[in-house]
Amino acid sequence: MKNIWLLIWKDFIRRWRNPVVIVGFLLIPVIFTFIFGFIFGQEEEKVLPRISVLAVDKDQSILSNFFLSSFEQGELKELIDLKPVEEEKGRKLINKGKASALLVIPENFQENVWNGRPAEIHLLKNPAEQFLPQIVEEVCDITTLLLSSLFSVFSGELETVKGFIERGKLPDKELSSLSIQMKNRIEGMAKFALPPVISIKQTTTSEEKQESGLSVYSYILPAMSIMFLLFIGNAVFEDILREKETGALLRMSVSPLRMSHFIWSKILTSALIGTICTLVLVALGRVLFSIRWGNLFAVLLIVICLNVLIAGFISFLYSFVKTERQAGALLSSVIIVMSLLGGSMVPVENFPKFILYFSKLTVNYWGLQSFHKNLLGTPLKELFPVLSGMLIVGIIFSTAGSQLLKKSLRKGLVR
Amino acid sequence: MLCLSRPKKEKQMLKISHLSKSFDSLKAVDDISLEVRKGEIFGFLGPNGAGKTTTISMIAGLLKPDGGRIVIDSFDLETHLHEIKKMMGVVPQEMAFYEDLTAKENLIFWGKLNGLSKKVLNERIRHYLEKTGLMGRENEPLKKYSGGMKRRINLIIGLIHQPKLLLLDEPTLGIDVQTRLNIYEIIKEASTLGTTVLYTTHNLQEAEELCHRIAIMDQGKILALGTLEELIRIVGEKDIALISGHFSAEQAREILASFEDATVISLKDGKVILSLEASKKIPLILEQFFKESISIEDVSIKQPNLESVFLKLTGKELRE
Repeated sequence: MKNIWLLIWKDFIRRWRNPVVIVGFLLIPVIFTFIFGFIFGQEEEKVLPRISVLAVDKDQSILSNFFLSSFEQGELKELIDLKPVEEEKGRKLINKGKASALLVIPENFQENVWNGRPAEIHLLKNPAEQFLPQIVEEVCDITTLLLSSLFSVFSGELETVKGFIERGKLPDKELSSLSIQMKNRIEGMAKFALPPVISIKQTTTSEEKQESGLSVYSYILPAMSIMFLLFIGNAVFEDILREKETGALLRMSVSPLRMSHFIWSKILTSALIGTICTLVLVALGRVLFSIRWGNLFAVLLIVICLNVLIAGFISFLYSFVKTERQAGALLSSVIIVMSLLGGSMVPVENFPKFILYFSKLTVNYWGLQSFHKNLLGTPLKELFPVLSGMLIVGIIFSTAGSQLLKKSLRKGLVR
Repeated sequence: MLCLSRPKKEKQMLKISHLSKSFDSLKAVDDISLEVRKGEIFGFLGPNGAGKTTTISMIAGLLKPDGGRIVIDSFDLETHLHEIKKMMGVVPQEMAFYEDLTAKENLIFWGKLNGLSKKVLNERIRHYLEKTGLMGRENEPLKKYSGGMKRRINLIIGLIHQPKLLLLDEPTLGIDVQTRLNIYEIIKEASTLGTTVLYTTHNLQEAEELCHRIAIMDQGKILALGTLEELIRIVGEKDIALISGHFSAEQAREILASFEDATVISLKDGKVILSLEASKKIPLILEQFFKESISIEDVSIKQPNLESVFLKLTGKELRE
């Protein structure tokens, strides 16, 4: 262990003396985020893309219309694109990943609600997307909650109205008395009920809007950062080939140092440098782009697990290369393709379903998912499966990489 | 193999028996055996591709031999590699250090890697920096050093932990005379302190000046092994002559047949190497070539020295 720390000390001094590569890879994501932020420009455009929601209304009632129209109120109108479809077509579209969610309002929906029977609305979410269907679900939850509350609070009054409708008569006197009764009840409840309803529906201030966790910046910065963290890992591991070239590795092989210690020192150096760089990027994101990263302890855990995964993955890849030229060709290609598939260049929400299977094989995808979930306020315990998965896979890659690298490095020591 | 001297068993540092190594069809080391005593400077002399570096690499545990056995300070290399590595130092041909670290940082790193304590390390660093004239520049990154200064640091790194066995692979490649002499001095000091030095070179003067015993290698074999004096005795009192010109091997053979005391060592079109009782015979030989209207380009005569031994044993010059 003493030797591993000695090797890490040596690598850190060397990186400190030649910071250009690391600083360069650290600045590029920040510059990219600036540029993309500038391109996507205006405040109102710094939000998520419109959410496509398909609606199947089998009931065609006042209540089902009321329910669906809730998606077209206020700010939701700007965010959600509601499109009525036939059920079969809707299911096909959702399976193809062409929409974020499909809402199905069954027949007799209004009837069931009037009669106090359980009434269900079916929501099908696109499995390829993470937080866009989540927003639709939240809207549904709020609307159904409102409707349920409305029906339980005004059950008496609504029963009377139902009687009028069924009889086909709307007597003025009874109606005015009913209106006064309802008005009084609303006024009595107003001080308890209205503020929360208004707080959900009201627009937020412009300052709060800028700090929203779902800004374009909060998508681009982590996405770009993960891609360039992979390049930073590559730069650390490239050193192995240089040490082999200069004879330093040969000299170490003749010393009491074990080759496995040398390789683990590189894995740890890569993970440590990556962690420091990511934390710097997180801080820059907060200062320069006002990104609210969410639970900071969770951010720290994400950063550590992500960098263990990256270090392990790069060490594994390095066991297949023998020269700097090979490393340059293989690693750059793998990093770019992986970043494209994993969502560092294009949001995975826009990918067809079959590409998403490949996305899930990338470091970028899991890193981004954990950052986004934390941004959206997912509790830490729900992040644990992803984080522990990243950590375990990182350790598996590191172990495999160290074993394979040990063999490949020994081969080319003597020329 | 011509083995002219052998150390006593109790003083043995290294024993190699029937060592061989092939790379595909090429026999890089072909059944070599030798013994080296403690504190000895032992040279492997031979042209490029003779098998010197392969031999050293097998001793260092970097290459696995195809056959044979290596014993270092009574430890079998195959079974006690880790123990052996603790007593070994190496100075490769390359500048095997970190140019972006200072000289002191490099020495601290390599010293600690070899298990030196801080106190001992500081003493050794001071000693070697003074000895090599680098004191005062120890805090400069090595990339600012000249080639000669880098060579000296390369050597110090190999010596900093005062190994029992030091492997030097052509450590004076491309350096000035002053640095070369400084390096010799340090190697000799290490030897007097008990370090056994294995030194590969294709520089004859270096081998003559530095090594207690020399193994002449070519094509993976040890052709002769002994002290400088013992090796020179192989040639005896004879001079070695090299004649090159526009002649075929057949023409040269016919001309030289009439000179009984001239022994042909090597003969090919345009070049002949002879062993002669006396170099006075050379004008007579040349006269015969001229009589046959053969133009001669160059004639050189070597007095009995390591070069003439090498010529006699291999039939070729070291630089070929």
